[in-house]
Amino acid sequence: MPDFMPFFVSGLATASTYVLSAVGIVVLYRASGVVNFSQGALGALAAFISWSIVERGGPEPVAWFAGVLVSTSLAFLYGRALAPRLAFSDPVMRAVATLGVALILLGVMGYVWGELPRRLRLPTDTMSFELIGVRITATRAIAFALAVLSTVAVMAFLAGSRLGLQMRALANNRDLSALLGVPVLRADGYAWIISGALAGVSGILLADLQRLSGQTLTFAVIPAISAAVIGRFSSLPATVVGGVAIGVCEALLTPVPVIGPFRTAVPFVFAVVALLWMQRKSTFVYR
Amino acid sequence: MTDETLTYSLPVDTRKVRLKWLVTALVAVGAVYVLSDAMSNYWLRTFISAAALAIGSLSVSLLFAQLGMVSLAQFALLGVGGWFALRVSHGLGVPFELAILAGGIAAAAFGLIVGLPALRMRGLYLAIITLMMAGAIQVLISAFGFPDGGAGILGKSSGARVMMARPFLAQTDEAYFRYVAVVLALCYGLVLLHVRGRPGRAWAMIRRSEVCALAGGVHIVAYKVWAFALAGFLAGVAGGLLAGGVGQLDGSAFPASQSIMLFALTIVGGAYSWMGPLIAGLMLRAFPALLNDFHVDGNIATIVFGAGLLHALMTAPQGIAGQLQDATKALRAKFSGKSGAAR
Repeated sequence: MPDFMPFFVSGLATASTYVLSAVGIVVLYRASGVVNFSQGALGALAAFISWSIVERGGPEPVAWFAGVLVSTSLAFLYGRALAPRLAFSDPVMRAVATLGVALILLGVMGYVWGELPRRLRLPTDTMSFELIGVRITATRAIAFALAVLSTVAVMAFLAGSRLGLQMRALANNRDLSALLGVPVLRADGYAWIISGALAGVSGILLADLQRLSGQTLTFAVIPAISAAVIGRFSSLPATVVGGVAIGVCEALLTPVPVIGPFRTAVPFVFAVVALLWMQRKSTFVYR
Repeated sequence: MTDETLTYSLPVDTRKVRLKWLVTALVAVGAVYVLSDAMSNYWLRTFISAAALAIGSLSVSLLFAQLGMVSLAQFALLGVGGWFALRVSHGLGVPFELAILAGGIAAAAFGLIVGLPALRMRGLYLAIITLMMAGAIQVLISAFGFPDGGAGILGKSSGARVMMARPFLAQTDEAYFRYVAVVLALCYGLVLLHVRGRPGRAWAMIRRSEVCALAGGVHIVAYKVWAFALAGFLAGVAGGLLAGGVGQLDGSAFPASQSIMLFALTIVGGAYSWMGPLIAGLMLRAFPALLNDFHVDGNIATIVFGAGLLHALMTAPQGIAGQLQDATKALRAKFSGKSGAAR
């Protein structure tokens, strides 16, 4: 029997990036009704920008900040300038539109940076400590801590602040909330900002933990969407549990002989099973 | 006094339409014949895969335009069809047509599996579950690879890769291009037959309102499942044609991202028009090839497609096909000196 502990630790770190991304997706969906398929592409862009600044000799904290700033402002710009034009179309069309954004970002990243094998190095990679006989790098610990912190912060924000209350109202019923005077565009804009920032942080961490590639990071949105599906795009705790389960299962399967090569299918299996489980009772939608 | 409404009950003049379609078909046949002789080998191959992908796009537009369903798994089904076509062709040595049919039927079965959850899901969740299935198929294909003449169930050979046998009638690239064009026309015919017939009416009613369809005695489950199976069949045939064009398939060529691209370009091309899938096929293959000819980075194509998708969703729901039709209508109105409102 192989030693699963190192895989568990690395899986927990990857899972944390999924959780960060998924929390962004859920918050955005609740507030604005858009499932953001470009979450991964935004993170990839943030990682590439940080990488370029560090490569040119810029200070690292500035590089990370710039990356997150770019992903945040792009998300805000899309949410403010383009998303409202689709406000009255189907939820599925609004989600497909973000696929368009993902394609544009993917093309830009391929054009500017190409698909060379790269990795974003964080200074915390070399720091490490021992815990129950396993060496844990500081990056992994930070990823985990950030995931926990941001989830708690977002939950507290939604529960306690006035803006959070408005977002919850929008999630409940958009038309009624607008009628009652909830500033729809303002709440939407903040939701896009939160999700863009989370996407950036998640992308930078994932580019360090795995590799810096436009394709890989863009499609890291799939485990995040799976986690959001497990949370039914509404429950943050369930989303976190889903994200952690997906990341950890994926990593734990690595040393298992026969099913190891199929471990990348874990997010799909989780999402499909969750969707089927949710729809186990036939409900007839009148429309 | 006669009832004038009855006189004008037919929205289009059937005699005129028949002539128009006849001319279109003749022009298409002529174009295929001339094009296949005039093109270089590179462009011939590009157009072969463009025509095959037009069939794939047809399957997306069938689900989207007829039932309003977003399926992001169709390109993965192309891979499934290609896999089975290659396997049958190598394993049994059957004629190309049978191999393609086998690929189509296998992909239809997979399409059924994809479609089963669709009976209870709609909209966003359907899009997500089909995307997840496309991802799962991608994992399977890249783990197993495509059969290339070896023994065993997977048909992987350790030595030289064997090419898939082309149809008896179409050994050269020129002939194969014509062959694919004929299959494309047959697929259009198959879809037209469905849309004009009983299934098309049932789909239209389901799309309009499931409650009304149920009240009208339409078997919703059967017709939805049938749509998915038909779309899967088309995708499988397209996959078999792709395999025949190159002789083999690359295990990394069917990622979920391509399924997304196929859906996006079907929307950009115009899912509601017969021209849409053709435009989508050309954009998927011929447009990057054109950029390559001009030594432009292929990533530019991805950027253009993304921007095109946003544009289509926001301002042109009928896609390029719809804009072309509007343009010809406007031109015709201008030349005949009538207002644009005239039919």
